[in-house]
Amino acid sequence: MVGTPVLFIAIPLLAAFLIPLLGMIWKELVRIVPGLVLTYLLILSVNLLNHVLAHGPIVEVIAGWVPPIGINLVFSAFSGFLVVLMEFLGLLVWAYSYRFKRNVDYEPALKYFLMLMMLITGSVGIVLTGDIFNMFVFIEITSISAYGLTAFYKGRNSAEASFKYVMMGSIASTFLLLAIMIIYSQLGTLNMADIANRIHTMKPAYKIVSYIFFVTALGIEAEIFPLNGWAPDAYAEAPGPVGAAFAGIVVKAAVYAIIRYTYTIFDLSGTLNFLIIIGMVTLIIAETAAIRQEKLKRMLAYSSIGQMGLVLVAFGFGTKEGVFAALFLMLNHAIIKSLLFFSGSYLVYNSTEKRIVEVNGMSKYLPITSLLFALGAFAIVGLPPFAGFWSKLSVMTAAADSNMILIMALVLIVSVVELVYYLRVVNRIYFFKKEASIEPHRPTINAMVVMLVLGAIILVIGFYPDAVTGILHKASASLMDKSYYIHHVLSLKQ
Amino acid sequence: MDNTLFGFLDYAVYGTAVLVMLIGLYGAMVKKSLLKIVIGLSIIDSGLNLLIVAIGYYKGGTAPIFSQGFLENFKSVSKMVDPVPQALVLTAIVIGFGVTAVALALVIRLYRHHGTLNIDEIKNLKW
Repeated sequence: MVGTPVLFIAIPLLAAFLIPLLGMIWKELVRIVPGLVLTYLLILSVNLLNHVLAHGPIVEVIAGWVPPIGINLVFSAFSGFLVVLMEFLGLLVWAYSYRFKRNVDYEPALKYFLMLMMLITGSVGIVLTGDIFNMFVFIEITSISAYGLTAFYKGRNSAEASFKYVMMGSIASTFLLLAIMIIYSQLGTLNMADIANRIHTMKPAYKIVSYIFFVTALGIEAEIFPLNGWAPDAYAEAPGPVGAAFAGIVVKAAVYAIIRYTYTIFDLSGTLNFLIIIGMVTLIIAETAAIRQEKLKRMLAYSSIGQMGLVLVAFGFGTKEGVFAALFLMLNHAIIKSLLFFSGSYLVYNSTEKRIVEVNGMSKYLPITSLLFALGAFAIVGLPPFAGFWSKLSVMTAAADSNMILIMALVLIVSVVELVYYLRVVNRIYFFKKEASIEPHRPTINAMVVMLVLGAIILVIGFYPDAVTGILHKASASLMDKSYYIHHVLSLKQ
Repeated sequence: MDNTLFGFLDYAVYGTAVLVMLIGLYGAMVKKSLLKIVIGLSIIDSGLNLLIVAIGYYKGGTAPIFSQGFLENFKSVSKMVDPVPQALVLTAIVIGFGVTAVALALVIRLYRHHGTLNIDEIKNLKW
């Protein structure tokens, strides 16, 4: 054993609060320490995932109180896969923003990296925890640092976007707490496995009310329509890498929470169809909204919302293929959307309005960045031979296996819409004349390395999808096996 | 107070908590001033906290504090109110405080940027 899951929460929290003190010793430590911590956590998560794939899930008991009394952390193949993904993206976001503005002085860098660490810690905590109130606390840690990161730039309208986010997030947390208390008042426990074990004793009316509160609360974080009003503004006004962190880390954690509640805890019939419906509505509305956006980051935000809708649809099939497709989509979306945010924010670096027309002709000045943006655009639409093709194909086969022909048709139509608005941007980058007033900004070396790594991963998954499908199959099997989860957690002895 | 005539009083605290939450929701949704919205959000939190404590309480229960009396009269342990919701409320209060602080900081930023607290006049982004 190389480490335990509790280190994923303890080390970054400790480091986040030590950063200001370390910054007093040497200012550069503010930037270096988060990178070291994230590198260590990435290595640890890969090691633990390897261990879990070979020997079964690890359940960590906190402070010696065995479940169902105490808090426990569960590192299964499913949650472990997401933890690896989040720590990896966190490391990339750190590397990208290491010096993303040369004139960022000490204090903004301190706050930025502190909040980034908290954001990653909270999201990883949501995925690892086995206790619903603990999950509420982690969701609040994630949300509060997300509010702060959204309002990071003082010059833009970021405070307005962040205030909108605070309003929705605060109501979300109220609903979440209410749902938790409905369960607690009926079952007298907060442990997920114990709840799942005894949920059938709860009256259906209480179950439905608490499920609705859960989905509403988590839907605000997971950008489900019509609860996603905060998302386009927050993505557009936050710094570029933070948009990647939202799309790759925060939203993934919220979707994980919805899926954990739907698959493991509640035994309501019909919720899977409900997921398909809200997923389809989110997908269609978001993609049609994306096509009429004038600002690049708002367009990417709507595209991200649409992808999350597709993930929910795939989870809604309820079959092993569906879960596999959903996890594949989550992986691809995290990688590709991060690349799009990373390269896109350099394409509109010096424009104040960040409009799509301002990327005109950038390919001559920023050839590699433009090429990577185009690669990301083609990959997310699902053109072969890039990574996105395989995930969309697996969604299609999963839909066909479940006899959902209408869903297949709708997803394909929406893909065409997606193709239209991404090709519009790529077309402007390559075939339009540049406007004279906008000065292109060359990416820093570390940003370039990060983007190239992401591009390489997209190509590797595209040409050799077997590199990840093995892990994804095991992760989806671990999510589907509900009774094993319950038994494994509840059978722990001190 | 054991008769059915006043039985509804046992549930009055639930009603009050829900009423407080609804008042807060009204403030957050209808009022135009940013400060009143923040106040409304924290009133929702207060109502919810009241509800949570009420869930853990039952009639005639004592405070869940370990003391000498419990050892002598073991039966009184069963008369304790549930301590878990009280612990949860402490956490929820701290979190609500944090969110309110962040929201007020944003209100200050918005006021400096726009010179007004009226939400109708702050619409650079589409609301």
